[in-house]
Amino acid sequence: MIHHIHGLLLLTLSSLGLSLRAPASPGAPLTGDKLKVVCTIQDLADITKEIGGDRVDVTTIARGKENLHLVQARPSHLIALSRADVFVQVGLSLETGFVPGLLEGARNPKIQPGKPGFITMSEGWNPIQVPTSLSRQAGDVHPQGNPHLNLDPRAGRHVAELVLAGLAAVDPGSKAEYEKRQAAYLERLGQAAARWAEMAKSWKGKKVVVYHMEYDYFTAAYGIETIGKIEIKPGIPPTPNHVAELIDTMRREKADAILTAIWSNNSNVAQIAEETHVKVVELPNQCGGLPGTETWIGMMDLVHQRLADAFGVAATAR
Amino acid sequence: MFLKRISTAAAVAAIPSTVWAQASAFQTPGMPTYPTGGQGPAGDISQANRFTAGFNPAFSFVIDAVADYLSPDTGPSGWDMKVRTMEIMSQAWVDPNAWAYFVAASDGEALNVEEAAAHFVGLGEHTTLRAGRFFIDFGKQMQTHVHELRTVERPLVLRQYLGEEVKGDGVELDQWYAIGDKTALRWSVGAFASLLPEESPDFLPVTESVADRKSTGKFNYTARVTGFTDVGEAGIFQLGASARVIPEYAFTYDPSGATEGDLKNTVYGVDATYGWTDETGLRKWTFGGEFLVDTGDNGATIDDSGTPTDPTDDTIGVVHRAVNGYFGWVDYQWSSFNSVGIQYSSLTLPDADKSNESEAAVYWSHSFSEFQRLRFEVSDHKSDVADSDSTRLALQYSLVLGAHGHGINW
Repeated sequence: MIHHIHGLLLLTLSSLGLSLRAPASPGAPLTGDKLKVVCTIQDLADITKEIGGDRVDVTTIARGKENLHLVQARPSHLIALSRADVFVQVGLSLETGFVPGLLEGARNPKIQPGKPGFITMSEGWNPIQVPTSLSRQAGDVHPQGNPHLNLDPRAGRHVAELVLAGLAAVDPGSKAEYEKRQAAYLERLGQAAARWAEMAKSWKGKKVVVYHMEYDYFTAAYGIETIGKIEIKPGIPPTPNHVAELIDTMRREKADAILTAIWSNNSNVAQIAEETHVKVVELPNQCGGLPGTETWIGMMDLVHQRLADAFGVAATAR
Repeated sequence: MFLKRISTAAAVAAIPSTVWAQASAFQTPGMPTYPTGGQGPAGDISQANRFTAGFNPAFSFVIDAVADYLSPDTGPSGWDMKVRTMEIMSQAWVDPNAWAYFVAASDGEALNVEEAAAHFVGLGEHTTLRAGRFFIDFGKQMQTHVHELRTVERPLVLRQYLGEEVKGDGVELDQWYAIGDKTALRWSVGAFASLLPEESPDFLPVTESVADRKSTGKFNYTARVTGFTDVGEAGIFQLGASARVIPEYAFTYDPSGATEGDLKNTVYGVDATYGWTDETGLRKWTFGGEFLVDTGDNGATIDDSGTPTDPTDDTIGVVHRAVNGYFGWVDYQWSSFNSVGIQYSSLTLPDADKSNESEAAVYWSHSFSEFQRLRFEVSDHKSDVADSDSTRLALQYSLVLGAHGHGINW
């Protein structure tokens, strides 16, 4: 047995010698192969495909209905990251449950933080709800602020800008193509934004309750008032006392809707809806969670349409 | 030299007097250099400025307490409560090529260094060299501290064949490879000064030891190879094989001083785990099991054929009989905060009668948040060894303060 182990050691040392070769320098022109891009959520993957076109081969980690704080890392994720040229994440600690371990395990120098292949959407973003003091007494708070920026109707343009910059930095030879595709995408985005603004023009002052703080960027964008949260604190489930107080608040304030993601549409939501007779609006928290949400514009269309239906505002998203 | 001392004195004068208690500001030849400003000089391994906290490691504390009611088939029943573990842990990157951690734990009496190791990751893309003191890479559970297990105790067969906790001072090389797009294969080999368990199993009334100084061929070794793969969109399957090799050790029977040396022991294990996660990430099923074979010199009997009342003339009889055992478990999590499970372990002891021992446990774990957990467990222990059957009701409370983590590999 011991001789066998010694043999393994020698084998390992020889393979180490092979793996010590220098990696390709960042920003070096590619040789015609597609850029391998790994995105944490499909929202980012969709926009990356829009801008990268045929030049990118995109893999997504999270599944469409998943709670983004609880994504299960898989072998295929590790392997995809180990081979990736570009990694795209939301940031603001949204993916802290799975990205740090995957990046460390993948050991891919091209996509480590600070390298051109590491693109984070929190860069240049002005987050809301940045805690003034950090304590677990406040629940599962994110130190840099609310990370659910992908649900801000203004996020598409921001993501498109950063993805363009990132792809062009890694693959400068295709910059003109990326810029052309981004311009076309921004035009479609502008049309969608005008459509959404038209639908939402009477939403200011509407009162909603949310399960988790996923839709706070969205409600803030249209002046929708969040009068309560079903979670007692971020990541902490409600207590019976909290539910009772919330029901009182909703009756007193005359809430218009309860907003919930697919993962959080649970018995607490059903109980509160039953007692208050307030409509539950199930919304995607990322692309891919519901039919028609495969693209970011499609997802936002659905979110706007469902809210329009809940608020009793006749509108057509598409 | 003279000018340099003047400059240093001026810098020191600007520092509040309270820092004088921490170290001398003078840097004499031959002593370690500690910079007083932001530019770290060559040859110094401390951080640039001792008085900022920005580069301090992350710290965490763990408290693991158990209240239980034990009801043996014979003997008195009763309640007990104890803080089983108080643990302090720290970790940080050392430099771009290495990170390190230490774990010290106390059972209320002594503070022991459980782990203190560095992970060198600069050797290549998928290679890690770990050095220091750390838990062995054997199966899916031996790297884990007991308060982080799914059950109150480690599975019976692991406790008996390997030990409650097995750590060693040594080095381990670890590397993984991709096989296709969905399968990863990892192997590791480790060499340690000693991997004898912390506590000998109950049926061994002797002290085990290895020589302090030895040739490399007499080091204790571990080896593991494991692969895990995607199964559809929701499943992950992992298969692994492990070995712990102790090429030379000795039994000593303290009352008589009798020693049996030149003994060896190897334990092999094969493990399989399947995990399924629903589309929301909240509901999970996990199935796992491991089969172990304990070979070589794995037991001892005491021959008291001399004067029956005089232990000093007793002698040791070494048992070398290959035995095997296994454990299997199922765990169902229906939310981020609740899971239930069942675990069963059975093994053959290496005694002359090939006695059997088994343990079944049913548990419910409830997490109040990510950082505190309550677990209720009922376990039933059966053994052919005389009068040791028992039933146990245990309530375990574990909490974590701060950023907790270990050097656990998959």
